[in-house]
Amino acid sequence: MEALFAALEGTALAQTLRGSRWIYAGVNAAHILAIALLVGSVVPLNLRLLGVWRGISREAVVRVLAPVAASGLALALLTGPLLFSVRAREYSAVGFLQLKLTFIAVGVLATLALCRTHGFLLKDAPRARLVGHAILSMVCWLGALVCGRLIAFAGD
Amino acid sequence: MRLLFITTLALGLMAPMFGALAHHGWSWTTGGNIDLTGIIKTVSLGNPHGILKIDVEGEEWTAQVGQPWRNERAGLKDGDLAEGVEIRVIGEPAADLSKKLVKAERFFLGSREYILYPNRD
Repeated sequence: MEALFAALEGTALAQTLRGSRWIYAGVNAAHILAIALLVGSVVPLNLRLLGVWRGISREAVVRVLAPVAASGLALALLTGPLLFSVRAREYSAVGFLQLKLTFIAVGVLATLALCRTHGFLLKDAPRARLVGHAILSMVCWLGALVCGRLIAFAGD
Repeated sequence: MRLLFITTLALGLMAPMFGALAHHGWSWTTGGNIDLTGIIKTVSLGNPHGILKIDVEGEEWTAQVGQPWRNERAGLKDGDLAEGVEIRVIGEPAADLSKKLVKAERFFLGSREYILYPNRD
């Protein structure tokens, strides 16, 4: 694993990111945009599942927010590994990053499982199931956000 | 709903607990400078921070130097910071001195001074 991370750090892309000012800053900003899209849509989506904004149909809320969340996730999965590659060996040992990746994995798998059973628009899902999912999802994505931020505060 | 608020609140409250571990900025440092001289043991430059391990009279200190653009602005050339080179670092240590971590404001290689943060003393 150590050798793999060292090889990742040695790639031309990682070296460019490590040495550049604006490319690194740009990838960093894109990662923040990804988090904004993802968490910014997951939170209201979950609030709807928990019973807020009953006047707006769940289907309408899902149709708008789920694709935005998925786009944010895709951008985060693209930019996150780029940031990781800059200091892969150091970051791989950071507990907050490991916890963050666990939150992300659980959040993604839980969502896939929910959609697999009840479809993308969650039409026939029982309320208890939606509430349970919304709580788990909140914990995962807010947890991932907080742990991600703490990576920068826990080194050395 | 109540559970949601508790979860959000708990996560929000976690953040300040880790303030003391802070890494970016200057909030984690003492506010006063220390002056260390030692021999560079390892060099890891590049984003998001350049990190040096320095042997200061047998104690290993970690010094944070600049990102590439900041080091370059200070006049540093590739290879100037290298293993075995003597360095004098002036900067703020982490408030917890047992960490032996210092954020360099400027440093000397020989008699040449490299100023990373021109507006700090």
